[in-house]
Amino acid sequence: MSQQASVPNSRPWLLGVRESIPLLGGYIPVAISFGLIAVQSGFTAWEAVAISVLIYAGASQFLFVAMVAAGAPLWFVVVMTLLINARHVVYGPNLVPWLTTSRWWPWLMHGLTDQIFALAHTRLPQLPPEDRLGWFFGGSLLAWFSWIGGTALGAVAGKELTQQWPLLGEVMPFALPALFLVLLAPRFSSWVWSMALGSTVVVALLFTLNGMSNAAIPVAAIAGAIVFFGMNALK
Amino acid sequence: MDSGIWVALIVTAVGTFLMRSLPMVWMQRHLVRRKAKNTMDAMPIWLGVLGPLMIAAMFGVSLVPAKASLASWTATALGVLVTLIVARRTGSLGWPIVAGVATYGGVILLANTAF
Repeated sequence: MSQQASVPNSRPWLLGVRESIPLLGGYIPVAISFGLIAVQSGFTAWEAVAISVLIYAGASQFLFVAMVAAGAPLWFVVVMTLLINARHVVYGPNLVPWLTTSRWWPWLMHGLTDQIFALAHTRLPQLPPEDRLGWFFGGSLLAWFSWIGGTALGAVAGKELTQQWPLLGEVMPFALPALFLVLLAPRFSSWVWSMALGSTVVVALLFTLNGMSNAAIPVAAIAGAIVFFGMNALK
Repeated sequence: MDSGIWVALIVTAVGTFLMRSLPMVWMQRHLVRRKAKNTMDAMPIWLGVLGPLMIAAMFGVSLVPAKASLASWTATALGVLVTLIVARRTGSLGWPIVAGVATYGGVILLANTAF
């Protein structure tokens, strides 16, 4: 799983699949929880899977199911769910410098989750242009399928699974912070970047500890940007 | 699910897809209009800064364990440390994550056995 691959790969989609395997540690346990909660909230297994296929955005799916089950007005459910997903608007433009001219890219953006963005933002610049579409296709498809499969598993046998292997659901999600850390570490390249990234992590941590995990990502990123531009202005 | 919920689901799904896809298409067109040779230079600076910061924010959010306890925080700290060390030594993407998760799991298992 080397991070350097400047020579064209014969099967870039396979490289994408391999490199997104660490995501499964975070995706599958959370998807199992989603499937279980959706069924307990009155949705059928097929409906839970349909939500994962179509929306494919973790936190907002939990909110969608909880609000529908609580009988909230449907327009309000849609607005709240879209608000949580609004952070995605900055992901696509950030990848543009490394995207090729293929017409497939806009459609592949359905798979642009937080984690795939983090992975692609680091890996696409390191890959030869001709490998990028295949890499993204393989990586995002594996992540999407694991989310759908985890949801189905949770909806059908989530209760039994969480009772039998409670530790697995607790340990595997650590793959996500570990992945983000590996992607982030090389970016602590200067004093300004270190301060901006460090303050972003602290703000996100504090917001999450205070039960505001949905607001944490955009607010922390804006706080980090203020530190970045503030320090640059003072130079 | 009644038809109203299906409509809400479809609208949410289409809205989420458009939020992921349209800004990318707009940025591609913006760069074409500006006939940018170096796309990185033609990108707004704030956008380039926001990318790594979003990853840092995701890292901060994901650090908080689902079950907060002394054991889970100790496991998080040690898991982070081992991930960093292995990342520095191997320079790979997968092995640091395997080592970090194994460390995290080891500490949780040890704490569950001891207490």
